[in-house]
Amino acid sequence: MATIPGQLIWEIVKKNNSFLVKEFGNGTASVKFSKEPNNLYNLHSYKHSGLANKKTVTIQPGKDQSVLLATTKTKKQNKPSTLLNKSLMRKEFNRMAKAVVNQVADNHYRPDLKKAALARLSVVNRSLKVSKSGAKKKNRQRIIA
Amino acid sequence: MSAAAARPLVTVQSLESDMATDGAAANSVPLPDVMRAAIRPDIVTFVHGQISKNARQPYAVSNRAGHQTSAESWGTGRAVSRIPRVAGGGTHRAGQGAFGNMCRGGRMFAPTKIWRRWHRQVNVTQKRHAVVSAIAASAVPSLVLARGHKIEEVPELPLVVSDAAEAVEKTSAALKVLKQIGAHPDAEKAKDSQAIRAGKGKARNRRYVSRKGPLVVYGNEGAKLVKAFRNIPGVEIAHVSRLNLLKLAPGGHLGRFVIWTKYAFEKLDSIYGTFDKVSEKKNGYVLPRAKMINADLARIINSDEVQSVVKPIKKEVKKAPLKKNPLKNLNVMLKLNPYAKAAKRMALLAEAQRVKAKQDKLDKKRKPITKIITYFCCLSMHLRFWVYLYFIGSLLLVSQSRASLMQPGWKLPCPVYLSHSVICLLQEEASAINSASKSWYKTMISDSDYTEFENFTKWLGASQ
Repeated sequence: MATIPGQLIWEIVKKNNSFLVKEFGNGTASVKFSKEPNNLYNLHSYKHSGLANKKTVTIQPGKDQSVLLATTKTKKQNKPSTLLNKSLMRKEFNRMAKAVVNQVADNHYRPDLKKAALARLSVVNRSLKVSKSGAKKKNRQRIIA
Repeated sequence: MSAAAARPLVTVQSLESDMATDGAAANSVPLPDVMRAAIRPDIVTFVHGQISKNARQPYAVSNRAGHQTSAESWGTGRAVSRIPRVAGGGTHRAGQGAFGNMCRGGRMFAPTKIWRRWHRQVNVTQKRHAVVSAIAASAVPSLVLARGHKIEEVPELPLVVSDAAEAVEKTSAALKVLKQIGAHPDAEKAKDSQAIRAGKGKARNRRYVSRKGPLVVYGNEGAKLVKAFRNIPGVEIAHVSRLNLLKLAPGGHLGRFVIWTKYAFEKLDSIYGTFDKVSEKKNGYVLPRAKMINADLARIINSDEVQSVVKPIKKEVKKAPLKKNPLKNLNVMLKLNPYAKAAKRMALLAEAQRVKAKQDKLDKKRKPITKIITYFCCLSMHLRFWVYLYFIGSLLLVSQSRASLMQPGWKLPCPVYLSHSVICLLQEEASAINSASKSWYKTMISDSDYTEFENFTKWLGASQ
């Protein structure tokens, strides 16, 4: 499959795509979010986009109290079902943080996403601690783990 | 993309019903060049917009609407507006305004005509380019995801299914096929999204809306697959030689999820040709070329060829210093004009000298007065006059004996007793005062018209 470069994909996708969420604020202020699963900050931008990059990182809550860390494989871009290296992590936070850093930065996978990955890890972790009372919210970003 | 040798292989997904005739070797088809064509969302949007106008049916208002009256204006003079009014009587309608777009029951402004230009012509090459772009985009998972299809479970894009799929007869079997190849979530999404349309369309025979699911493309005419798949909500079917842009890029958005059968996939090369080979089915048509063969900017920028010629990054950003006013800030002035220091110093000294010189000059002109004089000035005018008189007299009699001084030659109303030394002092001061006041009075007189007072001048003159 011809690997269409990320820049080209971004040019096509940046104006309009099904994951784009525009929030309007005071006057002309607005933020653009993105709901795709491979986006660490959920921001609509080239760097964070899960669509336009060959290498992406994602951190999500997995099955009961575990965190799913997934990276995309560069060689399998056109095979969506086997695209991700998934790993469920059930350790304590420090260990998980170390694992994330190893995967993301230390092996030069996407060192510019290190801070984002750690931030997301801590938020996801915290959300798992909170006992879910009330209506169950569907995780729309869920990668089927 | 270059039409070079490397044509990646696409594995054909086998279904349960497949006779494993080809054995262990994974069925794979080389990727047709169509999938490598340039993706041009701008062309697709344009062509899609034009083509979607071609299925329109004309609408118009009736020809005679609003004119089926014999209305005439009443003219002026009847205290009503001059709009044509319906003639006759005996009914509400009589006398009402007619014919105008502003009148009730009148004809509308610019009544719609059926000869409006409903359809649009698009150049054949443009149409083909759009279709080719859309096919290429359907092979990029990011774009298909961005369009909103659920393809996380799809094993490979572009998704090619073995020819056994074309023989599927029953819809239930078709659903099973979809499940096997991971296309079921997309079809499910379409089914779940069926809803009543918002807006007036629901009353105009467009009641329901739903999302689009996968597009199944087959190669053999009359394949049973058509009947099996067509009733599944969201799923659409198309024959390879008749691919429709409106189906490949619904809404003008690239990236429809397409399921190809093996037969259809192999036909693509002959229908659209390759970058070198002319298409067989389309007369003289060659696939369009992209503006950039390698559009991967990151790789180009980081490549050896570019990096070896590029200058190093400027890490230090030079910031302009704040401008300071040399007229106010001495150091900045000296940076510009070093002589300014010397010039300033000389100016200061000169100024000091000038001030001193002036002060000296003034001091000289203004004599310092002693205590006696101050006392003298403090005396009242009246007393001063008499003291003055006395001194004049004393000066006249300066040669006479002192004793005679004590003898009041003139009868002074107030006896003034003064010591000898004081008298001498007073005589010196008196002469100074004398001359000063003489000149002062002279100027006074010359300034004013004080010429009649000759006694005074005579008196002054006598004292000399």
